[in-house]
Amino acid sequence: MLETVELSKSFKGKTVVDNVNLYLERGESIGLLGPNGAGKSTTISMISSLLVPTNGDVRLHGKSIVKNPQEIRKVLGVVPQDIALYEELSAYENLVFFGRIYSLPKSMLEHKIQEVLEIVGLRDRQKELIKTYSGGMKRRINIAAALLHDPQIVIMDEPTVGIDPQSRNHILETVKLLNREKGTTVLYTSHYMEEVEQLCNRMYIMDHGKVIASGTKEELGRILSSEDTILLQLDGYNEVVIAGIRSIDSVRHVEETVQGLKLIVTKQSRVLSAIVQCTERHGVQINNMHVQTPSLEDVFLHLTGRTLRD
Amino acid sequence: MVPVFLAQWMKEKRSPYIVLIFCVLSIVLSLLFGSSTGMQIKIDAFPGEGLTEVEAKQWVDRLNEKGSFDFTLRSEEKALADVKQGRSDMAVKLLKDDYRVISIMEGGNANLVQQHLQVIYTEELKIRAVAQHSNDAVQFRESLKVYLEQPPLTLQSSKPTGEELQSYNMRLQLLFGFTLFLVMFTIGFKVNAVTAEKVSGIWNRVILSPVTKTEMYLGHLTYSTLIGIIQIAIIFAIYKYVLGYDLGVNFLFLSTISVLYILSIVAMSMLFTGMFRTPEQFRAFFSSVVPIMPPLSGVYMPPGTITSEIMLFISELFPIKHAMDALIGVSMYQLGWEDIYLPLAKLLLMTVIFFGVGINLVERRNA
Repeated sequence: MLETVELSKSFKGKTVVDNVNLYLERGESIGLLGPNGAGKSTTISMISSLLVPTNGDVRLHGKSIVKNPQEIRKVLGVVPQDIALYEELSAYENLVFFGRIYSLPKSMLEHKIQEVLEIVGLRDRQKELIKTYSGGMKRRINIAAALLHDPQIVIMDEPTVGIDPQSRNHILETVKLLNREKGTTVLYTSHYMEEVEQLCNRMYIMDHGKVIASGTKEELGRILSSEDTILLQLDGYNEVVIAGIRSIDSVRHVEETVQGLKLIVTKQSRVLSAIVQCTERHGVQINNMHVQTPSLEDVFLHLTGRTLRD
Repeated sequence: MVPVFLAQWMKEKRSPYIVLIFCVLSIVLSLLFGSSTGMQIKIDAFPGEGLTEVEAKQWVDRLNEKGSFDFTLRSEEKALADVKQGRSDMAVKLLKDDYRVISIMEGGNANLVQQHLQVIYTEELKIRAVAQHSNDAVQFRESLKVYLEQPPLTLQSSKPTGEELQSYNMRLQLLFGFTLFLVMFTIGFKVNAVTAEKVSGIWNRVILSPVTKTEMYLGHLTYSTLIGIIQIAIIFAIYKYVLGYDLGVNFLFLSTISVLYILSIVAMSMLFTGMFRTPEQFRAFFSSVVPIMPPLSGVYMPPGTITSEIMLFISELFPIKHAMDALIGVSMYQLGWEDIYLPLAKLLLMTVIFFGVGINLVERRNA
């Protein structure tokens, strides 16, 4: 349905998106993952025809939309990362404005406004001014404004950044409803792995402007099928201890987290005893050790050497 | 275009205060400053050596006859104390056949008062000298008064067209001046919505809809133009129909000049929009630069006050200068279309250039 071919964008000689190839089939929910500055927003700006690519193409049903953006604009709903609403107007008035720019007939406009307000759960607060809303409520209206014209494809750029858990859950439920019940194709960008895991059939992982991995959750998990994740809680450690653990042959990666040290290790029986010996050698006691199958977060860590929130 | 225009109107309905405040300010300022321009200059006078209270009173009455100054007889101590403490510019010491002007500085009103005193004293002393040669001084004065009221020769001044000469209406100039000045702010703040929408992301969101960029610009600029026209119309209507003031100009002239001026201000605001990234930067610049334009263009001063070639050249770059030239021309000198086509053409030219450069700058910033 929608694909990018060798899509690239440079600003003042600096390449921020580099040969990105991705595709969306009708009814799919696709996640675009990456840390801040990975190039996600620039990629979706090019897909939505807001930015002209330096190289490459964006195709809708096989036809380039770079020179004819009107085609994609008709079928696209974009939820920007910023709250792109008139703060001094009410939610209802904002939706009237966005309905009008899509030329919705007057008879249908009122019905559509109430429908999208129902979807985002703010029907009873529609007459209040946007500036009086909480951050989460503003984000929900931000989504509602993109749904008024029944778009076939919805692009959501980090719609849950900086909001309360209740609004976040509501937004995630809204995305599920759109995709699973209404059959809307969704391109969802985030740096929250758990959101993408929960919502998307497939995902693309971006870093430094490039797609570094893609596939279903299971396909991406297989990247680390020969590895395990060990969460190690010690009664105290320093750089020398970390260096000691890192020097063990089977240890591929060590990262400090709030729960303790997170290790990605090659699956083999002797790694645990090697870790125990190393800690004893440094006079450090192990309080807890937990071995688990690598998550997608671990896959990202493995591929980029950093976490999504870095 | 219509949804963008209506969105601006919805915002205006929620908060119409800017337009209303500027309307009230225009009227209040022009009334306030306009009324002070015709006021008499008040001067304290006190009797000097050898002059009785009655004689001093006669001199004061004589000095007040023309009405342009208001001399008041006070005690010497009070009059001098006010001058010393800066409460009054000057005081006049009246002598039998002379006077002294006591002032803390030279120039300004002191020169005008000195000139007035010189004329009246010379005239009065001449009359007294002639009266001494008459048998009855009182009778002589009465005859002189009657004679002056019905002189054998009268002088009449008129315009080349034969119409009666009118005195310059400073209040009307100030009304036009403050109205044109304050409408700049209203328009500037409305055009600034373009930058605000770009920063908030609304602009990009609308671009992704079937609404074209041209329609978006048209929506914003049409709205700003209309709100400017409404503000000027409200002020002139209040002056004409509520305060009963004669604007001295017909509707066609007034509306043509106003619309052209407003278009040039919308274009100038668009030019400034292209120069700044955020609405805050625009506001800071606009609020600093716009108040300089009227004084440089001589809006608050009688015609001919500004003589500096540099200032006159700079003022040519401001739309308010040309709009004022046209409005004063048609209202006070009864000029016609052929006389005011030049300022109107300059306004039109500025509109075209400012729009062209401004929109170009805005679009370059986005590229």
